[in-house]
Amino acid sequence: MDELDFLKKDWQEREKELPKLSYNDIYMMMWKKSSSSVKWIFYISVIELTFGVLLGIFYHPSFEKELNLPPAYNYLTYASSLIIIYFIIRFFRNYKRISTTSSVKGLLENIIKARRTVRQYIIFNLSFAGIVSIGSIIYVYIQQSGGWNSFAAQATPKDYLVIFVISVLATAIIIGFFLGIYYLLYGILMRKLKRNYNEIKKMEL
Amino acid sequence: MTQELEHKFVSELEENQNIVHKICKIYTDDPEAHNDLFQEITIQLWKAYPKFRGDAKFSTWMYRIALNTAITLYRKSKRQVKTQDFDTVLNKVKAKEYDDTEEKQLQLMYDAIKQLNDIEKALVFLYLEDKNYKEIADTIGITEVNARVKMNRIKTKLKNILNP
Repeated sequence: MDELDFLKKDWQEREKELPKLSYNDIYMMMWKKSSSSVKWIFYISVIELTFGVLLGIFYHPSFEKELNLPPAYNYLTYASSLIIIYFIIRFFRNYKRISTTSSVKGLLENIIKARRTVRQYIIFNLSFAGIVSIGSIIYVYIQQSGGWNSFAAQATPKDYLVIFVISVLATAIIIGFFLGIYYLLYGILMRKLKRNYNEIKKMEL
Repeated sequence: MTQELEHKFVSELEENQNIVHKICKIYTDDPEAHNDLFQEITIQLWKAYPKFRGDAKFSTWMYRIALNTAITLYRKSKRQVKTQDFDTVLNKVKAKEYDDTEEKQLQLMYDAIKQLNDIEKALVFLYLEDKNYKEIADTIGITEVNARVKMNRIKTKLKNILNP
């Protein structure tokens, strides 16, 4: 007898040993796809941080020296990296949690948590970008006009107004730019999660 | 509407889950990978379900989608298979060779099947499922003649693995 035919008998007998999943087990599996969205959120955040760190190490445009940024600027960058690492850890934990949840209710809760973390992350990044940009624009502007003392000595209300308008405009542009990127990076995943959430919610009722 | 469809799908899958488990058994080695593949197949089946018209049997349709999923996934991860693994398996095969109890013999066969490539596994699986060549050909999407030729090659390959 052919080896495979010999195996065929055994194969069919072993059917009894196969695992048996319940209706609910299978049902849960269909909705676990949320975990892949959350996994991507984690990956993207890691790529984002890596990109930022590499940029900080290797990219030093010539105007950076001319701008003469305050030393505090460096500390701010380190601090923000730490906070971003904290968020990455949270993204990772969200991913782990979602992929190990076994109840519909738990899955719903975890999706909410995952979405909340992403929102906090984006709000943090945007406000950080805003603060840094306002700070550096004002600083650079004052530097250009000969330092704080000479600026304060001859500044008219008009000068203050100009600084204010420029920094607000530039900050708006920068925040808008980041918002656009985040919309592309996380927006799709967030909508997917939301859709999943609504579908699961509907089922649970 | 969706809810009804979903209920129908899950019930049918629950009833036919053995097919998916067996595919997982052929393509994976540990329970975790087994579950991952099962889940991936479930998701792919569910995605394809709206297009399932019911002109074929659910199980027939399932064989096709599930095998395709396994083949695609396996192809992606194939690059990670290390040659070292292959040698270890071969050594194991050699070491066990002298034990001729039926149980060991079967285990050797299963080990040998694990060394086949993605398509070959699919063919062996359908063969073990007692499908005829026409059904095998239809499920995989090749001609019947091609299925026979491939199956003969696989048998030779398995013999070579078992008797190096």
